[in-house]
Amino acid sequence: MAGVASGEAACNSARQTGGVTDALAAELSAAMAPDRVRSGPLELTLYRRDASLLEGQPGVVCFPSTTDEVQAAVTIARRHGRAVVPRGSGTGLAGGAVPVGVDGAEPVVIVTTKMDRVLEIDADARVAWVQPGVLNLDLSRQVAHLGLHFAPDPSSQQSCSVGGNVANNSGGPHCLAYGVTSAHVLALEVVLPDGSLALLGDLDPEPPGYDLRGAFVGSEGTMGIAVRIAVRLSPDPPAVRTVLVDFASIETAASTVTGIIAAGLVPAALEMMDARITSAVEDYVHAGFPRDAAAVLLVELDGLPAGVEAATQIVADVAAANGARGVRVAADEAERALLWKGRKSAFGAIARIAPDYYLHDTVVPRTRLVEVLSEVYEIAARHRLLVVNVFHAGDGNLHPLLVFDRREPGVMARVLAAGTDMIAACVAVGGVLSGEHGIGLEKRDHMGLIFSDDDLDAQRRLRLAFDPEQACNPHKVLPSGSGCGDLQSVPAGAWI
Amino acid sequence: MTGRPQTAARTDRPLEDFAAEIGTSDPVVVVGGRTQWGVGGEPDPTAREVHAPRGVVAHEPAEMIVRVRAGTTVAELDAVLAEGGQTIALDPAHPERATVGGVLAVGQSGPRRLGWGPVRDTLLEARFVSAEGRLIRAGGPVVKNVTGFDLCRLLVGSLGTIGLLAEIVLRVRPRPPVAVWLRGAADDPDRLRQALFRPSSILWDGIDCWVLLEGHPADVEAEIKAIGPGFDPVAEPPPLPSGGRWSMSPSAVRNVVATLEPGTFVAEVGVGIVHESTAPPSRRVQPATAALHQRIKANFDPTGRLNPGRMVT
Amino acid sequence: MRLAVADEDLSACVSCGLCLPHCPTYRVTGEESASPRGRIAAMRATHATDAPAGPEFAEFMDLCVQCRGCEVACPSSVPFGRLMEGARATLARETAYQPRRRRMGYAVLGHHRLLLLASSAAAVLQRLHLVPARLGLPRLPLRRPRLRPGDTAGPGGRPIGTAGPGGRPIGTAGPGGRPIGTAGPGGRPIGTAGVGGRPPEPDAWLFTGCVMDAWMRPTHAAALRVMHATGARVALPGPGGDCCGALHVHAGLRRQAEALARRVMASMPGDAHVVVDSAGCGAALKDYGALLGTAEARRFSDRVLDVHEWLAARAGRLPAARRRLTGPVAVQDPCHLRHVQQAHQHVRTVLAPYADLVELGDDGLCCGAGGAYAGIHPAMAQEIRARKVAAIAATGAPVVASANPGCIVHLAGAGLDVRHPVDIIAWSLDGG
Ligand SMILES: Cc1cc2nc3c(=O)[nH]c(=O)nc-3n(C[C@H](O)[C@H](O)[C@H](O)COP(=O)(O)OP(=O)(O)OC[C@H]3O[C@@H](n4cnc5c(N)ncnc54)[C@H](O)[C@@H]3O)c2cc1C
Ligand code: SF4
Ligand code: SF4
Repeated sequence: MAGVASGEAACNSARQTGGVTDALAAELSAAMAPDRVRSGPLELTLYRRDASLLEGQPGVVCFPSTTDEVQAAVTIARRHGRAVVPRGSGTGLAGGAVPVGVDGAEPVVIVTTKMDRVLEIDADARVAWVQPGVLNLDLSRQVAHLGLHFAPDPSSQQSCSVGGNVANNSGGPHCLAYGVTSAHVLALEVVLPDGSLALLGDLDPEPPGYDLRGAFVGSEGTMGIAVRIAVRLSPDPPAVRTVLVDFASIETAASTVTGIIAAGLVPAALEMMDARITSAVEDYVHAGFPRDAAAVLLVELDGLPAGVEAATQIVADVAAANGARGVRVAADEAERALLWKGRKSAFGAIARIAPDYYLHDTVVPRTRLVEVLSEVYEIAARHRLLVVNVFHAGDGNLHPLLVFDRREPGVMARVLAAGTDMIAACVAVGGVLSGEHGIGLEKRDHMGLIFSDDDLDAQRRLRLAFDPEQACNPHKVLPSGSGCGDLQSVPAGAWI
Repeated sequence: MTGRPQTAARTDRPLEDFAAEIGTSDPVVVVGGRTQWGVGGEPDPTAREVHAPRGVVAHEPAEMIVRVRAGTTVAELDAVLAEGGQTIALDPAHPERATVGGVLAVGQSGPRRLGWGPVRDTLLEARFVSAEGRLIRAGGPVVKNVTGFDLCRLLVGSLGTIGLLAEIVLRVRPRPPVAVWLRGAADDPDRLRQALFRPSSILWDGIDCWVLLEGHPADVEAEIKAIGPGFDPVAEPPPLPSGGRWSMSPSAVRNVVATLEPGTFVAEVGVGIVHESTAPPSRRVQPATAALHQRIKANFDPTGRLNPGRMVT
Repeated sequence: MRLAVADEDLSACVSCGLCLPHCPTYRVTGEESASPRGRIAAMRATHATDAPAGPEFAEFMDLCVQCRGCEVACPSSVPFGRLMEGARATLARETAYQPRRRRMGYAVLGHHRLLLLASSAAAVLQRLHLVPARLGLPRLPLRRPRLRPGDTAGPGGRPIGTAGPGGRPIGTAGPGGRPIGTAGPGGRPIGTAGVGGRPPEPDAWLFTGCVMDAWMRPTHAAALRVMHATGARVALPGPGGDCCGALHVHAGLRRQAEALARRVMASMPGDAHVVVDSAGCGAALKDYGALLGTAEARRFSDRVLDVHEWLAARAGRLPAARRRLTGPVAVQDPCHLRHVQQAHQHVRTVLAPYADLVELGDDGLCCGAGGAYAGIHPAMAQEIRARKVAAIAATGAPVVASANPGCIVHLAGAGLDVRHPVDIIAWSLDGG
């Protein structure tokens, strides 16, 4: 986001410069190749942040290309007393890949983008082994000719890495019916924070022992670095229908969502966009989204043809019963693709409203959507901010986006305050802090809102089993005060 | 449709009582329906037995979730869900005795795993009692959640060695309008898997195949046609041989069962479970992975008081 | 160091990373410094300090192909092309970013006769095997056909200077012998110039350009042939219409570019469409309005059309194919046609009646040619090209259609049979 440029940036840098970093970089260079280890000041700047608003400061950035090199990088970093921070494509929205070190020493950022090969595809077993840097959409494209795809489809799927998906247990519109990343990962080969290599899970359905695979997925880089991932591939559905429903009010759209779920349907996807975002998206894709709608729902139904037709009818009926203004069924694949392009560009299209946005990601019980949404609008109004909503309505996963221009004095404080109020409102109706983006640095200090100290302590025990020294992506996910770190708030050098 | 729970609480005792019962020091073993008692080894007979609380706390059909106490039997839970037109992806052999907590602790999925997914994907929230006797919450009562580390998945299949389940929230699913088991002779069960879109189950004993089709009546009919002649509806799937539960990559099944006498085993096609009478050889776990298991156990239950004698590996 | 960019443009980037996979240099390297997002971040960091831009910054900027794939991929509409041009203009002005050698190279482009001579000389050296292969130069033509504007058809109805059988466009010398260059004294005849009086206004101008005219004049002949086939009267630019200045803009040599732009505008007066058969030049001409910022320049830019755009509007007037290529033709979209002019669909409209078209599955990722880029960063250009070659190979098409000379030359360097769409059409119209 806009110009958090250098003035602030200088703050946390240059603490560990000169000799120490040089020796570290030299050792890393010897372990991989000199041109895959970087410590130039401008280059380091580029790794200070991900797609969130937070910033840290890396000490060295390296690009291993093999498992051995990742192991070496971790071992060397640890020997130099540095933390390691795994990074995929840097599209995370919770600051998971923002480099924060320990004891004032800037961390080594380990970037997986050069590990971008699909290693093996077993079409019969519907499994592929991939390196972590493979982009989500590239994976689906590479198996498309087999009638298969990788089901988790974050809106960032063209850019985000499978490793990042694993670390964040990412979701996407189509995870409503098919489940989030965890349901699509069978096994992981992981470089643990001590540099050793462990296989978590396996290709068979019941590998012995604890579900370490399940524990690792969603660990946000705090339990090691995934270097090989066995993903489950899903068969393409024989029939798909995509329906755009147009509403005169947010309330009727939200009650349609509840109605669809209550009717026993599990659509492949069920997405909502409010008025502002709908017209911003329409400006970008020209897909015929109704500019005057108060809200639209994008519903996708897939499976076998008769079931899909029946479900489409139910959706139309429920929508009509709730007072929808119009129901448009995409006529062909091109129209369907265009509608999805609109939905998936939504965050970016916000820039047509204001240059900056701050995105939240809470989940509430689906039956409470109406009341929570109206509260979200109220909170924004109270803080004199604009909020737009585009979200995975089917699973109650809200994405209120506060849009603003950070050059306006004092606006950041209002944005943060409004965000905190929204989180509190969601938690009050039994919601949780994050549905798919993760906790990272961003929501770390809100964890106490839904978990007791005992709950957090249990999570810490899991993390410590993987990373006893808390050297892998330190200061993420678990708040201070639960004994995991000695920081009281977002660490210095991390900027909101 | 309202968001209010369809079921009122019908539970036997507060969770805190269960936590108090477990206490903080001596070894305890939690008893469910004893349907899978041997999995992970016989627990220490001197350990004190405790039973998880029972009862369905709240079924919310419009949320497609249910909150239930761990000691409730699967049959009891399913009866409540049926009232709301829903069911659950727990598929134990003896639903009238198996408890929900027990099924999760063992973590084995039933023969419908191909279509319904593994048991571990149904658990949304868990309240469990720790080795220190504290009630801990993991996860949350919503269908999508990445708030914090995934202790829920760690608990599934952990055989009560890191915490004892007290209450859980599960994802439920709509009851399919039609469900038909078909049986026919087949020497290539993978053909069926390729011909069908997401069948709920394909079982194979080396001679016959049983296929479970669920969904819209017209689709089920079309899928029956796609299977081709020689398959007829049957009331139920074959009984599963007990004694050995082998787990392998789905693509390895054909080779493995080639060494077995047809008719003596039942393979879950596309899943990779083979039921037969002899136990599988014990598997070697990589040293780094084994060390992780040990550290997890040590971190959650330093004195080893939870289900002593049970081993996950 | 303040860069010649607008703060608004810099702050438009929200760092979402959605552009990353559309950037050829990021695809090859996986590094932020070689990505649109990283380049913008580097610009911001540089823009915000007083310190002069260091070599790191120049290096990051220079590795950009300026394909602008990121620009169309960006949902926030970050005007990346403008940012990069501004950053390079600052670098060129304030630093030794464009070394003397390179500056001189760019200067030659505006001196057409010199360029033609140099090109012919290089062609001779090539024949003598004195040009190092690592430069990746195509086989240059020793001779160029003579272009005849105005006529609705070449003598005897034959297209002038179109390639021989199979229509291989590159370096094929057509009939005509002596290169006549673009600028003869007294300009060139416009249309079938009326005797004595003012020449009649043509229906369209065909812009010929610098390198393209030197290396690929047969393609201009083919474009004329096809344009004539619609019944239009076509004129060639008068003196000074030699070089569009695109490469100068890309290099940050804005002043030179502006001077060239003024000359080009003067060489094609009136209201007739300015038709361009080089996607890179077309994009530059269409941007004169922004480059010069005058009403006159904006009016000129409004007259500019890519040749396919122009033909698509007249597709009904084109005769049917008299022969067709046997295999399918893979359509490669030049970045400056697809990302900048967004006129790539017209290629399909115009070409479809004459060939079986197949699409590439790479979302229009750049081929690495990038004007002078392939010469300046040959290694990177070739790595980028390898992906394009793989995408083309995946289609199985034996022939590639590309509407930009830079791309044609660059891809031909990988041993592919690449032809300009108008070459294919002219060959097809010409009959067997
Ligand atoms: C426009 C936009 C739309 C988005 N839409 C969605 C959406 O619909 N759903 C959704 O879930 N998310 C969404 N996201 C968030 C983001 O794209 C996902 O979280 C994604 O999975 C991150 O992948 P990445 O490769 O960019 O990871 P990064 O941002 O690089 O890293 C994310 C985390 O993963 C860790 N990590 C990365 N690689 C590894 C590895 N190999 N081993 C261990 N840890 C690793 C990092 O340390 C960090 O904590 C969106 C983001 C943007 C910008
Ligand atoms: S240039 Fe556009 S697409 Fe790329 S990171 Fe910036 S805002 Fe996102
Ligand atoms: S112009 Fe092309 S090479 Fe340059 S940053 Fe954009 S996509 Fe990358």
